Amino acid sequence: MAFSLVDDSGASVEPSTFDLHESEFRRIEAILSRVRGEVRAELALLVSRSGQAVAAAGAAEGVDDTALASLATAALAASDGLARLVGEDGFPALAHQGVRRSVFISDLMRRYALVLVFDAAVSAGLVRYKCKRAALLVEDVLRGRRRAGEGPAAPGGLKFSDDELEALLGE
Amino acid sequence: MTFINYVAREINCKIVYYGPGLCGKTTNLQYVYQITSAENKGKLISLATETERTLFFDFLPIDFGDIRGFKTRFHLYTVPGQVFYDSSRKLILKGADGVVFVADSQEERFDANLESLDNLKENLREQGADILALPYVLQLNKRDLPSAMAAEELTRVLRVRDEPVFESVAVRGDGVLPTLKAIARQVLVELRKNGA
Repeated sequence: MAFSLVDDSGASVEPSTFDLHESEFRRIEAILSRVRGEVRAELALLVSRSGQAVAAAGAAEGVDDTALASLATAALAASDGLARLVGEDGFPALAHQGVRRSVFISDLMRRYALVLVFDAAVSAGLVRYKCKRAALLVEDVLRGRRRAGEGPAAPGGLKFSDDELEALLGE
Repeated sequence: MTFINYVAREINCKIVYYGPGLCGKTTNLQYVYQITSAENKGKLISLATETERTLFFDFLPIDFGDIRGFKTRFHLYTVPGQVFYDSSRKLILKGADGVVFVADSQEERFDANLESLDNLKENLREQGADILALPYVLQLNKRDLPSAMAAEELTRVLRVRDEPVFESVAVRGDGVLPTLKAIARQVLVELRKNGA
């Protein structure tokens, strides 16, 4: 089993196809789980910069992971624009301080972001420190995988027929 | 950017509705939201101004069902149509697996359609994508309005290749689902072709 990520943005440094094998997926989950425990976060989420949730640890009651991934990415994108406006390359992290809950978003290789939903009583400095460390570990997994130059996972599970496609999209 | 999660057995695709201001992009999503059962949809998020113009984007995740044991989930986004929100459009286009261009059929919006289409091509090009290769559908919206131009004329000018063209009245839901299914089909066929 593998987690596969296919990206068609040919102009960027991103590869056209990117596959994350299950072992790496599990390592990322373990990192998310650890940082979640360290800062007593309800949820730790790895999202792609196109707005999709890649991996998660925990769950925040009443919080939709899919919506959170999309909005966190949007916030980071807006922050990038703001950074350029004031002559910065980017702001590496965003902190949203709430009354009961806070959200911390940390950029990762400009292709992903780490998102933590945590109790507002927890020190933002602690979260920033632990999140930075976790981001480096996740980055290491992703870069290590790229250095290894592995090919696609080729699970072969998606060779669906036209009939299957019609059954899915038919009336 | 298509995500295939082999652990959770999910396919996640991103579709962007593009077009000039007030052409009906948000209305498309609102209709899809209305008719989709609760278990097959997520929250409809609209980042809009106080006058309900799209400020950043609308977002709606929907499930189409299973194929080969994989849940197919489409993330639908709209871009803000107003000319001065170009930075937002570029951000939202990032990683799109397919694009629906929603044209406003009214004659007085003809130039706005052309400008938006040029803007789409340019923004795709900046991201290294090509409108001639990307899954793409053209929707001619507001067919019910008295100043609607002939569909043949609009198609002749706005069609960029052999993409499917659908006439629609999004406020009534006419043509909304055929448009969505057509872009979803292209995205999935592309995914299969790429050997996922």
